[in-house]
Amino acid sequence: MFKLLKEILRTGDATVQYPFAPYEASKDFRGKPEHDAEKCIACAACTIACPPNAIHMETDLDAGTRTWSIDYGRCIFCGRCEESCPTGAIGLTPEFELAVMSKEDLTVKAVFQLDHCRSCGKPFAPLKEVEYVGKLLAQTGGETERSAREEQILHTCPECKRKNDLEQVSRMKIAAQMETSK
Amino acid sequence: MDMFVQDRVGGEYLTALRTVLPNAIVNEEWQTPRQVTITVTADALADVMKTLYYEHYGWVSVVVGNDERPLNGHFAVYYVLSMEGPQKCHIVVRVEVSAITQEWPSVTPVVPACVWGEREVRDMFGLTPVGLPDARRLVLPDDWPDDLHPLRKDAMDYRTRPAPTQDDETYEFINDAKQETTIVPIGPLHITSDEPGHFRLFVDGEDIIDADYRMFYVHRGMEKAAEARMGYNEVTFLADRVCGICGYAHSVAYTTSVENALGVVVPERGQAIRAILLETERLHSHLLNLGLVCHYTGFDSGFQQFFRVREKAMVLAEVLTGSRKTYGMNLIGGVRRDILGDQAIETRRVVAELREDVNRLVDILLETANITGRVVGVGKLDKQVARDFSPVGPMVRGSGFARDTRSDHTFAGYASVPFTPRSHDGCDVLSRTLVRIEEVHDSLNLIEALLDVAPGGRILTEDFEYKPHKFALGFTEAPRGEDIHWSMTGDNQKLYRWRCRASTYNNWPVLRYMLRGNTVSDAAVIVGSLDPCYSCTDRVTVVDVRKHSAQTVPYKEMERYGRERKDSPLK
Repeated sequence: MFKLLKEILRTGDATVQYPFAPYEASKDFRGKPEHDAEKCIACAACTIACPPNAIHMETDLDAGTRTWSIDYGRCIFCGRCEESCPTGAIGLTPEFELAVMSKEDLTVKAVFQLDHCRSCGKPFAPLKEVEYVGKLLAQTGGETERSAREEQILHTCPECKRKNDLEQVSRMKIAAQMETSK
Repeated sequence: MDMFVQDRVGGEYLTALRTVLPNAIVNEEWQTPRQVTITVTADALADVMKTLYYEHYGWVSVVVGNDERPLNGHFAVYYVLSMEGPQKCHIVVRVEVSAITQEWPSVTPVVPACVWGEREVRDMFGLTPVGLPDARRLVLPDDWPDDLHPLRKDAMDYRTRPAPTQDDETYEFINDAKQETTIVPIGPLHITSDEPGHFRLFVDGEDIIDADYRMFYVHRGMEKAAEARMGYNEVTFLADRVCGICGYAHSVAYTTSVENALGVVVPERGQAIRAILLETERLHSHLLNLGLVCHYTGFDSGFQQFFRVREKAMVLAEVLTGSRKTYGMNLIGGVRRDILGDQAIETRRVVAELREDVNRLVDILLETANITGRVVGVGKLDKQVARDFSPVGPMVRGSGFARDTRSDHTFAGYASVPFTPRSHDGCDVLSRTLVRIEEVHDSLNLIEALLDVAPGGRILTEDFEYKPHKFALGFTEAPRGEDIHWSMTGDNQKLYRWRCRASTYNNWPVLRYMLRGNTVSDAAVIVGSLDPCYSCTDRVTVVDVRKHSAQTVPYKEMERYGRERKDSPLK
């Protein structure tokens, strides 16, 4: 009994004043992920990596948009989105006070424009993602500017690319060429 | 797989088995040098199990059902045995169950430890263990349709919620008492932990004559969800959420199972970090239980002191992983965060501080007069009962068996540091508490030792290939005992089957024997000493069958009675 009293006196006041005083989370605390729509290219890597399906992508072909959204109510703060993001557009913060008055406020959205195919005119991929790929290719090839032809191919949907390729091949009259080369 | 034939451990058991039961084993397949799956004939199953369990010092870890009809046309049941004799290894006894008869001979009559596993396979797969003495459901609720077995591959979508088939609770509680007894139903809420489990104490006056209970009121269908909707790497994060206390242990068990199945070699530094975090988790869990022992015995200032000190372990976890509880540190192949210089320094500081704090508090706890009166000789877990039912963790170590996965089987970074499992012979609440106290100190020592020996280098490897339909076991020693996972990969970056067994699952079946012969006011202390693990409730219903009256007692009142032991709410 005496030891217990001594321990209680030794301890003093153990209760923290939170929420009336700020509470510091540790340096590497895994809290609310923040999305930077400027950097995001809507590639959907995070939606695949997210274990609880907190991050979603929805494509609206009529409007030509793709909507990225995160539901903080489902988020488990694992940071897999941060690890999978190619452009560093999403990252965890030490923020842990996420309470809201209405459930809708837990969802944050960002809308991205889709790129329309220059051949068929249909939307096929987010414009920013296509541009990112273009820059990546240019960087690999050591070029600084794209030719008009490269620009045309970049903004063509995969289906039209295949079709265009076939048409081009048929125009080449391979059979005729093979005969003459004999 | 032939490359490690030389290193195989456990072959002697199979040789011995072949001598006594020459035609029993039809197939033998090694997953790792210390893990073998043998397929046996249904007729020989019970004999094989009995021989391995009682003659070669095997313990039943888990029973796994699997719907293998799309793979080979049969169902299969896997009995996982942890062999803890001279050769430490895992032997998985597999028996094929015909898709037409859907029956196989029950092992429970010869090895009682299989009872919950076989009941669960019957619920989840609709297979019949012929000869199983207990015909009741285990996992599925009473109002679940009779012919719907959730884990069959052709049964249901994981989002399906079938309509209830009836309004009545039809679960029959078993009472072995010879004399007339009064029934005290507690739950589906529980006197100690505010969690859902229905207890029925059969009492004569204040004495508990027998007890029965029902769990799984909050079955979450995690195995089904994991198999149906998550990739094999994402399941790691689901495993983190199996338990609110020892989630990281599950996460390690799961990743280890897949790593064993795919032959992934985790870098040593990653392994050491896993072990450090497992011990951090054990610290906060054991300190919580020591606090609860104080609480249940009416020593609430002690409870508050233990929780104050426990907070330091929680903050340590936050520093190391970025989260107080669900660490989210594992991936298949290693861990996601390294322990850097300043984190290691902080860890050593907290460990030193905790060591002093815990010493002082344990002194106070053991010197408090009413503690010994409440825990010595109370809630005895008889050695033979323990041997028959394969309980795990401080439960079995408090009954004289030094079973500890950390020393019995190799996983995470434990092989690189010295470790001796603890055990006490008293079989009572005190013994279990003493085991936990000693293990807190072991954990502190292990963390320091692991920080010392952890080599530098990589923490994660991505150098492996996902192969379809490979399976293996993964295991950890969680604070409450062995957690064991059995995983089989699918052919779609998912799991074909995931069986996740938490440690308390193995500890519930023996509780009945621990409650017998004690008084109602000791029930809370006894259940608390099991360090039980399930979710929240708030009231206790008491029915006196002699008077045909029912009375609802608030949970607080039942708990108060457990602490003060006067003014019984039953009178």
